[in-house]
Amino acid sequence: MNRLQFYIAFTHMRSKLKQTIVATAGVAFGIAVFIFMVSFIVGVGEYTWAVSMSQTPDVRLYNEVSANEVSILQQQYPADVNIVHHVKPKEEMLNLKDGRQAVKQLSQDPRVQAVAASLSTQVFYHLGAVNINGRILGIDVEAEDRLFNLSDKIITGSLEQLSTRPNSLVMGAGLARKLNVSTGDHLTVTTNRGGSFLVTVTGIFKTGLTAIDDEQSYASLNTVQRLLGVPASYITDIKVRLHDNEQAPELAAAWARRFDYSASDWQQDNATLLASERLRSLIVYGVAVTILMVAGFGIFNILTMMIYEKMKDIAILKAMGFSDRDVRWIFLAQALTIGVAGALAGLCFGFLMAWGISKVPYKSDIMISLDHLPVSFDIIYYVTAFCFGLITTTLAGFLPSRKAAKLDPINIIRG
Amino acid sequence: MEDKVLEIAGVNKYFYNPQQMQVLKDISFSITAGTFAALTGKSGSGKSTLLYLLSTMDTDFEGSIRIHGEEVRGKPGPWLARFRNEHIGFVFQFHYLLPEFTALDNVKLPALKRGRLSGEAATQKACDLLELLGVKDQAGKRTALLSGGQQQRVAIARALINDPLIIMGDEPTGNLDSYNAGLVFDLFKKISSENGQTILMVTHDEDFARRTDRMIHLVDGKIA
Repeated sequence: MNRLQFYIAFTHMRSKLKQTIVATAGVAFGIAVFIFMVSFIVGVGEYTWAVSMSQTPDVRLYNEVSANEVSILQQQYPADVNIVHHVKPKEEMLNLKDGRQAVKQLSQDPRVQAVAASLSTQVFYHLGAVNINGRILGIDVEAEDRLFNLSDKIITGSLEQLSTRPNSLVMGAGLARKLNVSTGDHLTVTTNRGGSFLVTVTGIFKTGLTAIDDEQSYASLNTVQRLLGVPASYITDIKVRLHDNEQAPELAAAWARRFDYSASDWQQDNATLLASERLRSLIVYGVAVTILMVAGFGIFNILTMMIYEKMKDIAILKAMGFSDRDVRWIFLAQALTIGVAGALAGLCFGFLMAWGISKVPYKSDIMISLDHLPVSFDIIYYVTAFCFGLITTTLAGFLPSRKAAKLDPINIIRG
Repeated sequence: MEDKVLEIAGVNKYFYNPQQMQVLKDISFSITAGTFAALTGKSGSGKSTLLYLLSTMDTDFEGSIRIHGEEVRGKPGPWLARFRNEHIGFVFQFHYLLPEFTALDNVKLPALKRGRLSGEAATQKACDLLELLGVKDQAGKRTALLSGGQQQRVAIARALINDPLIIMGDEPTGNLDSYNAGLVFDLFKKISSENGQTILMVTHDEDFARRTDRMIHLVDGKIA
């Protein structure tokens, strides 16, 4: 390849300027739509993923209640047939044995970013005649905030008061609406052990996850321990955030063995979410590849047409002493130019479209932290689009140009 | 022995479509350097077919064609393309210029392809040739805008730019008026006598043919 072939290629394109522009616009359109679609779909996906994951720790350690314990009789006479009627689970503490110690040890682990102990209990909320079943999560306020950025989710009131003010709680927005309470109101909660306590609402939060917002309140660990009448060492869950969350399954299993707790990791807890995320990216790429293929076929058509129009010129060039290779390069250069120019223009337009839509105000009741449409600006999609655009145009140009190169000049001249 | 530019021995050529037909039958002749030769014959006698074989653009034949001592039969495409570029100048019956390019560019392209002259030198040489052929004032125009006679002269300039050993013409004066045809003929004559370049020209015109150095007459695919 040298400058001469490019010169001929450019003269061809300049003389068919309109056709060239249409072909370039076709590529640009395909690439732009690809960028736009992918940015938007991925942006939304990432946002919903972040929302769902915001309340999920990487590793969760807890105690599981199990009723099917092996009876003493069975342990004594394993070979015999032992029948015990009406086996009931025995009273079992749900707390984690030596939970405080475990928290301390975990917080010293270099792989761990943050640890928070918590205590969860079922309660009834009473206000006037209304009784609502729900949950209170006793938390170490500072640690929990570090893990889940709770303070960002507070709509009214404050999180800090939880630790300073006894019998106070921060309530989910859905729950507060049902109970018709707001910050500063008092209400009664009843635990499943029968005790009733007067509590004060010091704040309202909203995570965007209905399951949490409609049922849950946060209180300090002390408050919940007092409600349940348990000692200060009593905790039911340890939540861990890791530096690298890919290690979660491995560490969860290791810690479960080490502390003799049950453990689950974020992948187990979000199996359906993960699966749907994978499906979604499959759809994104399906759509994207289709768009780019359509653009590729457009180029293929236009180049084939251009070559048919140039049959006679090909024969003349060959008669002048241009080789098959030269002819191939002349047409491939046109395809490449259209491809590169179209891909670059497409990237610019795609970026502008994505940028434009990311500035569109968008309010949603469910996603409170959202004020504009979520759009991803990951460079990898731009690189993918450019490469794919280039490869498609090269292929689309290569086939007709090879055909042009193979033409026997004499057959064209004879007609 | 005289310098043989063209040696043809036992050339047979068949057309297969619509049915097999022998167009050229055992053609053998040779041409020495600097000869102005005319290839004549009736329509369908195979003279154009023979010229295309000699121009190396058609490679489907039996026998031997040696140009400047090189056997062209069985040579690969790139070799032939290079050979055509350097040693053969071809003028078609209908000018066959590239319509998007200017007259000057059309003349320059073979020289640029050959790459022996710099861009400026090629331009200079192309200008000189256009001047020689009397179309220098049309140099900057796209060839689509030129008249038939002007186009034909540009095509001849193009055939001359690489100083080829042989200039082949398929009725190069065929669609020129008698005045222009005469000019072109005189030019060919001058080239062959002054530069020692060989000229092989297919023509219908008996008058021109008689004025050449050598006449090769084809009848039904055979030399008569």
